[in-house]
This record gives sequence, structure tokens and C-alpha cells, in this order.
Amino acid sequence: MLLMGSNTTEAHPIIANRIKKAIKNGLKVIVIDPRKIDMVKFAHRHLQINVGTDIALINAFLRVIIKENLYNEEFIKQFTIDFESLKKHVDLYTPEYAASITGLDAEDIVTTAREYAGSNGSMIAYTLGITEHHCGVNNVFDIANLALLTGNIGKQGTGIMPLRGQNNVQGAGDMGCLPNQLAGAMSLVNDGYRERYEKEWNVTLNPNVGDTQTRTFDRLENGELKALYIIGENPLLADVHMNHTKELMKKLDLLIVQDIFLTETAKMADVVLPACSWGEVDGTYTNTDRRIQRVRKAVEPGIYVKEDWVILCELSTIMGYPMNYSNSEEIWNEVRKLAWEMYGGISYERLEKEYSIHYPCPTEDHPGTFVMHERFHNQETIAKKSPFVPVDFTPPLELPDQEFPFTLTTGRRYESYNTHSQTRYYAAGVKVKQTEETVDIHPDDAQALGITDGEMVQVRSRRGELKVKAKITEQVVPGLVFMSFHWSETPTNVLTLNEYDPISGTAEYKACAVAISKV
Amino acid sequence: MGEANFVKTICGYCGTGCGLVLEVKDNRIMKIRGDKDAPVNKGQTCVKGAFAYEYVHSKNRLINPLIRKAGQLVETTWDEAYQFIADKLSGIRDTWGANAISMFACARTTNESNYITQKFMRTVIGSNNIDGCNRT
Repeated sequence: MLLMGSNTTEAHPIIANRIKKAIKNGLKVIVIDPRKIDMVKFAHRHLQINVGTDIALINAFLRVIIKENLYNEEFIKQFTIDFESLKKHVDLYTPEYAASITGLDAEDIVTTAREYAGSNGSMIAYTLGITEHHCGVNNVFDIANLALLTGNIGKQGTGIMPLRGQNNVQGAGDMGCLPNQLAGAMSLVNDGYRERYEKEWNVTLNPNVGDTQTRTFDRLENGELKALYIIGENPLLADVHMNHTKELMKKLDLLIVQDIFLTETAKMADVVLPACSWGEVDGTYTNTDRRIQRVRKAVEPGIYVKEDWVILCELSTIMGYPMNYSNSEEIWNEVRKLAWEMYGGISYERLEKEYSIHYPCPTEDHPGTFVMHERFHNQETIAKKSPFVPVDFTPPLELPDQEFPFTLTTGRRYESYNTHSQTRYYAAGVKVKQTEETVDIHPDDAQALGITDGEMVQVRSRRGELKVKAKITEQVVPGLVFMSFHWSETPTNVLTLNEYDPISGTAEYKACAVAISKV
Repeated sequence: MGEANFVKTICGYCGTGCGLVLEVKDNRIMKIRGDKDAPVNKGQTCVKGAFAYEYVHSKNRLINPLIRKAGQLVETTWDEAYQFIADKLSGIRDTWGANAISMFACARTTNESNYITQKFMRTVIGSNNIDGCNRT
């Protein structure tokens, strides 16, 4: 398994436990991460890569596998296209060239490529260390190139596994909370799919793809956006270049925030709606490997606190489009009816009995789909072949220089969760180890700056500055510092860079240049 | 004091989807343990899943709708909040078009609430400007 840009022990502790157990049973894990994270202790090898150089590394893997004929020729012929263009494209990425970019040993690169291709089944798991770059989509393309080249997809023990950070981030997208997709991941621009929804909903749908979050902020900047309705998100603290985000939000005619706490974002709103939290709601979540599971109400909410869907249905009815459901199951059954290919067979009744079912599951007698893309290993002909998408390495957009000599990379810590509005409240008696933000810095750098452990320092970027305690640790390499964005007292995102992946709109949280000085 | 009862649910933090058993008494979560029957975690939990639940009962929870009056957020009724939003959203839609309205959905809430969120945006508002933190 290649574990890329995933601090699994802290961000997905239970998945980390399962990986560690698999290691005991013979799984070889190669950690590819700029930091010496906890998983390194259990790894077969650690490729401590320079931040943002993943494509140089993967292209070198691809080249080694091609040059040494370790690829799956039969698989490539049957299921893929554009192999020749990939071959040509990666020729430049010799192990030595990749070593000079990534800071790794050329030999380690070659060995890892051989191991990935030569095992009897290799998997790639990744997290935000891959996606939170200006080239996040290209990073993912290159991971897919690697899996396709070796046929490591579509059977148990292989594949590409993005580990998702939120309980239902998978479900939110699957349910159609995306500008280009209806529920069931159906393309909005497909007339047939749109028609299916128009019939059920009795409306004519807007056929034009909407705005991503990033584009929303762009259109806010040029005055085209007037109203924003935010449910359970705290973009002010979570998004890059915070001072800029705040100025933009002030331009709105109407900001509606629906949340469980008066977050930093809610404080800016014109109207704030109190919503039920986890523990107060019924329904389903979709986890990182496509399992649908039942979520149950444990406690009654406050008298004037309502479920998200209830609020939206009541508002909708007032605005002239009546929506009436008596419970979450009724809503789910509408989803099952419309997106039957994915969820038709997943009833609440079955979930009670079976605990979890992997979609796609079109009918009640379908067992669910534990492994995706099995078609690659059945003998059936494939209608649509998978293209290789060759990509090039592009360095992080803001590299360190004399004035800002450190690279800041950001992430999460074990005991805290995102903007910390929930993890502020631990049960009594739990001893939390990290109670405030730190800037994690290598001993050599700390020594050069004359900084001691726990000392308050100033961190400054071209966009903002803050004061924070230094934590001296060998988890980072010299020249690299790490911070999380959990604490509003230390708003790390005043520092980060507002550059985005042009396709996904994801911001480059993982790399910007900062200066550090004694206070 | 009421009797304790036990509710099975799924953790609300990361995307792993661990099954939990909540011990509930007098409308409070008293304790959480991992569900041994859960296929994902087989009884295990991490520190967040097992202990970071007091936010549900926090005194700082929002308990009433709030509306901005004379620059300050003050408590209001649902009726007033709904009417204010309905009037403002309709006004903006009629003056500037549906494209002047955007929505950020929630990666923490249920599938059912997310389905209704996009349905609201696409039917009532007539816009596809809906996105979440799905892109990271």
C-alpha cells in the first residue's frame, strides 16, 4: 500500500488501526509524506518527499514500470487508451530527475516502483495531502495512471482509496449538493436525468452547471452574488486567506447561516437558524468506502431547534413550493426511487438488519457493491475505455525565498476536528494533550532562530500574521513548518494562499511561504 | 431520574463511519462505546468518537433563530425569520436572477437533509449554485 498525504493515525485513527493490523499480517506500507508522521513507525519505508512534488515522484514510478516492462500489458490493451502518450510524457522523469525535485533517493524511487508493480495486489490510499494543492486534480490523475498501468483496480486488495474527512462528505456530494450533479451522482447536463427529476419534482430545472465555492467567492468579489445560504460550515475560519474572505462576506445583501453554534461565520450573518446536531437527528450517512449506515436520534433537541431538512421544507413551503415529509425515511425513499441505480435496494428495513450496505445497490435482492470497477476483471467487453491522463509536475505556487524562508503546510491534529466548534466540548475527565495551536518546527531551525520549545513566536506571510507557540519536533524537516487550523484564537488561514486548483477549485492549503521570528 | 437506554448510531466526525452505542439518560448522552457489531470498527473508537460529544449539550448551542436588527443579532421567532428570508430571497431572485444566490451544503448532516438542500436550491431558487467542502 502506498499511503500518500494521509496522517492516518491522527485523522482516521480507526482506519490506521486496521492498516496496522494488516501490516502484522504481511501488508507492506510505504508512507509518502513530507512529515515523519506516526504511521512511519509501522511502515516498510518512508519517502519523505518535498511538499507538493508528488507528480514528479509518480511520473518517475510510471517511467520505471514502463522501462522495466512491469506493467500489465493485457489490461492496458483491453481497458485503456492513450498508453503511448503516457509513455512519451513520462520519459523525462528519470529517477535521478525526480530525486532532484522530491529530495528523495533515486534508488528508493526505483525500488518502490518495482514493489508497487510487482506485488500481487497494491492499493493507494490518500487524503488531503494529495488534493489540497493547486495541482490537486493532476495529482489524482497521476495516481489513477499508476493504478491503470499495473491493473491494480477492480479487485479486492487493490484500488484507489481517498480517505474522506467528514462523516458525510461522500453523501453530501452523492445527494446532489454539487453544482454539476443531481442525487445519485447523475450529471445535471444530461437531458434524460434532468427529465427524471423534473417529472418527480414538477418543475423545469435550470440546465446550466452552477458555481463551485471558489467561483462563488469570485462572483462575490465582482458584485454578482447577492445572497449566500450556508449550512453547517464555517468558511471564515476554514478557508484560505481569511482576511480576504471576511471582506468578501461583508459585500453580501443577505447571509443566512444554519448551524448548531454561533460560529465565526454565523456572527456575520443577517439571519441565524438553530439546527439539530448529531445525536438529535434520524437518517443515513455514507462513509468513505460507500457504505450507507443508519444514524439515529438519541436525545430530543431544544424546543426551537429544528432538523436541517425540516427548516428547508418549511421555508420552501412559504416560498411557494410546498415540501412535506413526515420523516427522514420518506425522503430516503424518494432518493431510492429517483436514483434507483445507486440506492434502489437500500431500504431502512434492510439497514436495520444488515447494518451497512455499499452502493450501488439497485434492487432489494442485490447484496451491494463491495468492490467497484470489477468489470475490469470480468471477461465482458467494456463500452468505454479508461484514458491515461499524463500530467506534468508544477512546483507550489509560493516557494520560500529570502524574506519568507519557510514552507508552511497545514493539516489536522488528533483530538480536534476542523474549526473545533464541536471538539471544544470533551466529556469531563478526558485529558486532552494539545489544547492550543502550535507551529511545529525542526530543532535545527529552532536553534538557528534561537527559539525554545513553547516560546511564543510570530509567523508572517504575505497575507497576514499571527502569534503562536513553537513546538520543536523532528516530525518536520528543516525548512518546513506545520500548523492546524482548529483554533479560532490562532486563525492559521490568515497566512494561507488563495490559489486554487483550476478544475476542482480546491485551495493550496498545503504550501505557502512564511517567515518566523521571536516576539 | 429516568432509566438509561442505549441507542445505536454512526459517529459524526470523520468519514470512517464507526458504529457507536450511546448511553442516554434524562435526555443526555452519558457515555459512548464502540459497537461490537459494527462492520467498520468492530467495537473500537478513537478519542473524538468516544469522548468529544458534550457539544450536543453545550450551553452555547443556538436555541432560537437570530436576526440582525440595528446591527446586532437578536432573538426572533421562526415565523419572522422565515418571512424575512423568503422576502429577501424572492426579492434578490426577482431583481438579479437566481444566479445571484448561492448555497453551501453541509458535509456533516444526513443524506436526507442534503437531498432536501439541493432540492430546495434547484426547485425554489432555480439555481445550481450549490457546493460543499467536497472538493478537498
